[in-house]
Amino acid sequence: MPKAGIYRANSVIYFQGDLSDKIYILQSGTVSLNYTDIENGKEIHEIIEKGEFFGVKSALGKYPREENAVVLSDTQVLVFTVPEFEVFTQANTRIIMKMLKVFSNQLRRVHKQVETLLEKSEAESPEIGLFTAGGYYLKNRQYSQAKYIFSRYLTYYPAGRLAEQASRYLEMAETSTLKYGDGKGPAPLVVEASREAQSVRQGGQAGAAGPGGAQPAAAPGASPAAPGDELSSSAKAYYDAVSLFSQGKYKEALVAYKKIADDKSDPEYSAKALYDMGRCLYMLAQYDATIRHFTQFVQTNPKSPDIVDSLFWLGQAYEKKGDVERAKGFYKKILAMESDEDAAVRLKAKKALRLLEEAARG
Amino acid sequence: MADLASFTRFARTYDPGEIIFAEYEPGDSFYLIQSGRVKISKIVGDLEKTIDILQPPEFFGEMAILEGAPRSATAQAMDKVKVLEFNRANFEVLMMGNPQMALRLLKLFTKRIWDQKRRFMILTLEEPQAKVADVFLMLAETGAAVQANAEQEGEKREFKVTVEDVAHWAGMSGQEVQTILGHFANQRRVELFPDKIVVRNISDFQRFVSTRRKK
Repeated sequence: MPKAGIYRANSVIYFQGDLSDKIYILQSGTVSLNYTDIENGKEIHEIIEKGEFFGVKSALGKYPREENAVVLSDTQVLVFTVPEFEVFTQANTRIIMKMLKVFSNQLRRVHKQVETLLEKSEAESPEIGLFTAGGYYLKNRQYSQAKYIFSRYLTYYPAGRLAEQASRYLEMAETSTLKYGDGKGPAPLVVEASREAQSVRQGGQAGAAGPGGAQPAAAPGASPAAPGDELSSSAKAYYDAVSLFSQGKYKEALVAYKKIADDKSDPEYSAKALYDMGRCLYMLAQYDATIRHFTQFVQTNPKSPDIVDSLFWLGQAYEKKGDVERAKGFYKKILAMESDEDAAVRLKAKKALRLLEEAARG
Repeated sequence: MADLASFTRFARTYDPGEIIFAEYEPGDSFYLIQSGRVKISKIVGDLEKTIDILQPPEFFGEMAILEGAPRSATAQAMDKVKVLEFNRANFEVLMMGNPQMALRLLKLFTKRIWDQKRRFMILTLEEPQAKVADVFLMLAETGAAVQANAEQEGEKREFKVTVEDVAHWAGMSGQEVQTILGHFANQRRVELFPDKIVVRNISDFQRFVSTRRKK
């Protein structure tokens, strides 16, 4: 049971530096917590209100008291040991909730103070850090981890300076998984991310996400890293759509791609967007629409670099509809058209075909 | 953990090797492990450094309450892992229904606040040498030190840290810290090993730092 304690004016309940497991509630009187602000060295006097707890943090965290608890007028307190406090709060969750809020605010504040000091010295931008981590996993043949990180990179920084490199690495990771499986195969050649980062910094864009710059927004989509000024407006719109797609927002992505495809001012991006619309339709499980879309795409864009991939999606859509023969036809066509053994689309088609043939046998 | 049964809609599962979140990613959720182990690691240069291996019923990612702060490490499932995912929206519901969990989180916050304050104290030292020395004092306070040959050498402390770790805490580059540790080694105040750093006299560091700290 907590005990009552009585303190006369001008006495001290505890001193800074004391180690103790006592927690107090002020019942009557006046107590001031006196300490020096770690940031500006000012003497702070914090008056405790009636009913308020004090001494909680140091008791729970088992570290020395950070302040002197000075009694200003005759005071009555209730004294808990940590176990008593625990029992008491189990029946009063609201008290813990209130403290959690207070503590998380304190944590935020002190963290911000630390960040302010760090900005002067240490400044790895989160954008480059994320990219570097992805490079590490790819180099060490941890393909699924690399895939996770590069696709996150593209989600947060769809128009980042390393976005193209990231999508190349993402594809490398996908290809290697298909070809060798996680942890196997020759280690992919990865340009040192630090070197990449260096070139980014030298590009004069370090401010994009660099020292003291914007932190990545918690809400994806509000990309802080978009240098924008170097990208054409259609390129930017395109990468925004890519970001939507990578977040699984296929409906929104479809709308965004359609807008780019309809706007013929930049043929490169409108063709890309047209292809990506088909992928959205497939992801939305609209297989008939997928088939119509890609059939038309293949006919109207015979020179597109995405032609072979379009055939793959056609195969996938037919497979979903249960038309195995048509699906196989498309996969075989891919094997005939794409001679590069390492091309991701060839590997994917090969795998899909094998699975269909196994299913037929089994 | 039977009392958490009603919170299954906040449950997430991960396969072995799957990343739960990556270092530098922004994040606004944190986790309570219900089953399986979670590896917390950082990529340092060419190595993936395991910082911790967590088990039920530990929390991780709780620094997500700091708005806009990127994740400071990567969390990866080691086994089939089941977690409860917290965010601002479900936080209160989960905590109100689980006072024990709330209390554990409260304790974790007190520790984090202390960690950050202590780090602040290191960073406000002006001299780089004092910063480096203070990192070892902090590590000693948190119990990270192994006392070497307690009877004969009561002041000697062994730290399983690398130059990069120290640099991280001191907010300095690895190069700078290497140079300073080199000086300390020449003065025979520290001994440097590939896997550990030994401080020969921790009280000497205490005196050194306290004379450098502004009162």
